Amino acid sequence: LSRAKKAVVFFEVEILDAKTKDKLCFLDKVRTYFFSSYPQWYPARQSIRLDPKGKSLKDEDVLQHLPVGTTATFYFRDLGAQISWVTVFLTEYTGPLVIYLMFYFRVPFIYAPKYDFTTSKHWVVHLACMCHSFHYVKRLLETLFVHRFSHGTMPLRNIFKNCTYYWGFAAWMAYYINHPLYTPPIYGEQQIRLALIVFLFCQIGNFSIHVALRNLRPPGSKTRKIPYPTKNPFTWIFLLVSCPNYTYELGSWLGFTLMTQCLPVAFFTLVGFIQMTVWAKGKHRSYLKEFRDYPPLRSPILPFVL
Amino acid sequence: MSAAAPGTSKAAHSDVAPKRKKGPGALATAYLVIYNVVMTAGWLVIAVGLVRAYLARGSYHGLYYSIEKPLKFFQTGAILEVMSRVFLTWAVTHSVREVQSEDSVLLFVTAWTVTEIIRYSFYTFSLLNHLPFLIKWARYTFFFVLYPMGVTGELLTIYAALPYVQKTGLYSVTLPNKYNFSFDYYTFLILIMISYIPLFPQLYFHMIRQRKKVLGHVEDYSKVE
Repeated sequence: LSRAKKAVVFFEVEILDAKTKDKLCFLDKVRTYFFSSYPQWYPARQSIRLDPKGKSLKDEDVLQHLPVGTTATFYFRDLGAQISWVTVFLTEYTGPLVIYLMFYFRVPFIYAPKYDFTTSKHWVVHLACMCHSFHYVKRLLETLFVHRFSHGTMPLRNIFKNCTYYWGFAAWMAYYINHPLYTPPIYGEQQIRLALIVFLFCQIGNFSIHVALRNLRPPGSKTRKIPYPTKNPFTWIFLLVSCPNYTYELGSWLGFTLMTQCLPVAFFTLVGFIQMTVWAKGKHRSYLKEFRDYPPLRSPILPFVL
Repeated sequence: MSAAAPGTSKAAHSDVAPKRKKGPGALATAYLVIYNVVMTAGWLVIAVGLVRAYLARGSYHGLYYSIEKPLKFFQTGAILEVMSRVFLTWAVTHSVREVQSEDSVLLFVTAWTVTEIIRYSFYTFSLLNHLPFLIKWARYTFFFVLYPMGVTGELLTIYAALPYVQKTGLYSVTLPNKYNFSFDYYTFLILIMISYIPLFPQLYFHMIRQRKKVLGHVEDYSKVE
């Protein structure tokens, strides 16, 4: 048995700066070698494309499969400082956890001094603190152990934007829920109980979807597959919706709004819903583009509606 | 007069003003009349541009691109201006009567009026492809004075409104209430004033940069026939 000798083709690669069209260097193994010549541009911030205005090539794109001849000209663009998704998620989720607790324990300088370190007399306020904290602890654990990210990094400025959003809203909500003059829900225990059921149901649902999505993708890979319902009943919603993780997330916050009967919470839910709808529509569109056999019954985020 | 201005909430202005009592109302009315005339002219210009482009092409295709530039000029950057003007007009000057007789109101109204007259003449001429250099020069030079003047007038007006807002609790919501929400208009106004600090220099320097870019090409532009 003899192995057929494979013909290896060496490419002479020329990389030009996308803006100035100056020749930067000759390379044969693109990103790593580029980085060793230009240490200020680590691989994550290199955008390499075949056309200056074109889409960035991915790490898994193979040189031989690209529409190039024996000489390939790539264009480079600096994406700016990058930060890993994991870092961003951990930072943006730890903030609300800590901030909410500061309001819950009525740390000084928030409310009038006579309330410092007191606790609310309404049991729903304690419940709300548990739910809010549980939610963000869940998110942190999912970030560390469940999610498989298709992109390693995002632009650095995103962390400031995202943290302002999460931390800001957390402070705003927590201020009112833990306020000495907080008014509990009108319909009392019934309302709170229903809200709690909705909240827990959606938390479990959201987690189930995250696990299902993780299992679609083998460790270390970046493949994309159509998600389908599994044995877990919480995933059966995949029959009707492309991004049920967002659906459940909306449900959780609706539950929390009902539980606290707090307008800032309602507002946070609304803003989150708008953002998640935008993301869901985008994801739905890319599923449709990528998979010709994509189930037609599915809507992006709300069954039959949106 | 505001019939040709599609979907602008400003159209309502001219209905509200006459119902107000004499005195300070006259100044606001004058401003609003001027504003409506000018707004109408501006949107008319865009409308004319659209019709001309349609007649020239014979289809709706690509119509947007014929008025894209003036429309973008109209909207971008003007968004902040528009928002601040709506706010100043309704949420401050209209809502707090005591402020209407202040000189600061005259200051920003004058600044806005002169700015708009220049700006809309600029758009009109641009669309008709006959932009006298003088108009372009005026648009990118007068702002040196008009911007600070307008901002000063606006800030002084908001500042003048503060004591009345605090005394009457205007537009404010206090705890406790069943929605567990509160809003202090007085604090809000102060935050608005503070926001001028980062915003105004940005707008100002943006205009200066625009000026360098636009007036820098003096040779290419002089008179476009």
